[in-house]
Amino acid sequence: MNKENPLSPHIQIYSWNISSLISISHRIVGVLNIQILILVCLWIALLSLGEANYEYIKLFLQSFFGKFLIVCIIWSFIFQILSEIRHLFWDFGYGFELITSKISGLFVIFGSLVLTALTYLFGKGIF
Amino acid sequence: MINATKKWIFLKASSIILVPLMAWFVINLVSIYDKDYVDIVNFFSTQPSKFLTSLLMIVAFFYSSLSISEIFEDYIHDEKIKNFANKTLNIFAIIIPLFVIVIIFNLTPIYFAKSDMRSYSKPAETPLF
Repeated sequence: MNKENPLSPHIQIYSWNISSLISISHRIVGVLNIQILILVCLWIALLSLGEANYEYIKLFLQSFFGKFLIVCIIWSFIFQILSEIRHLFWDFGYGFELITSKISGLFVIFGSLVLTALTYLFGKGIF
Repeated sequence: MINATKKWIFLKASSIILVPLMAWFVINLVSIYDKDYVDIVNFFSTQPSKFLTSLLMIVAFFYSSLSISEIFEDYIHDEKIKNFANKTLNIFAIIIPLFVIVIIFNLTPIYFAKSDMRSYSKPAETPLF
């Protein structure tokens, strides 16, 4: 008797739509967020090395690439938050209708972009 | 209760806790990331920041290990490799947050005397929320 669990089929065989796009993005962003969390841990750990050593990190974070990295991190976290809220609604039995699922999927994509911009502007004290 | 159900409940409970913690962290990250060393140390030295950052690390790594083990379940066929991958994942999910929590709780706020001419921005030392 074959005791092996069935594996998920390769993603190429599915036809693409909003739900599948959000589903695979949720997983990819989830894995990326773990790498980001490890980077955040490293950033906090570097604080213990003292001010002189931190200058290099500060210079990088103040550069264009540093700011770009921070914006990507914000988007990645916000995408995960919105997508997770969508999953939680599903867990409570809401939002399974095809049209609702498409609207919530679009909300995750565009909402994450808008909230990233708003969070950056709010965090920087622009408004 | 079977293990898969327990795992699902832990996953959902941790995601409910994680959503507000991530929102708190993201907003504060934007306000401090390019600040001076002193401002960042002072931010992480406040009691709310210490508590919330530690909680974020514990819950985030717990949630991550549960969700990555799901990916392992879906895509790794070999039982031995899957078990090894899960064990390694769990070890890292314990060690990394523990390491960061020790560092955060060892950070002490940096104060300057009035005579010190260095610029020091007060708002960054306290969390926005």
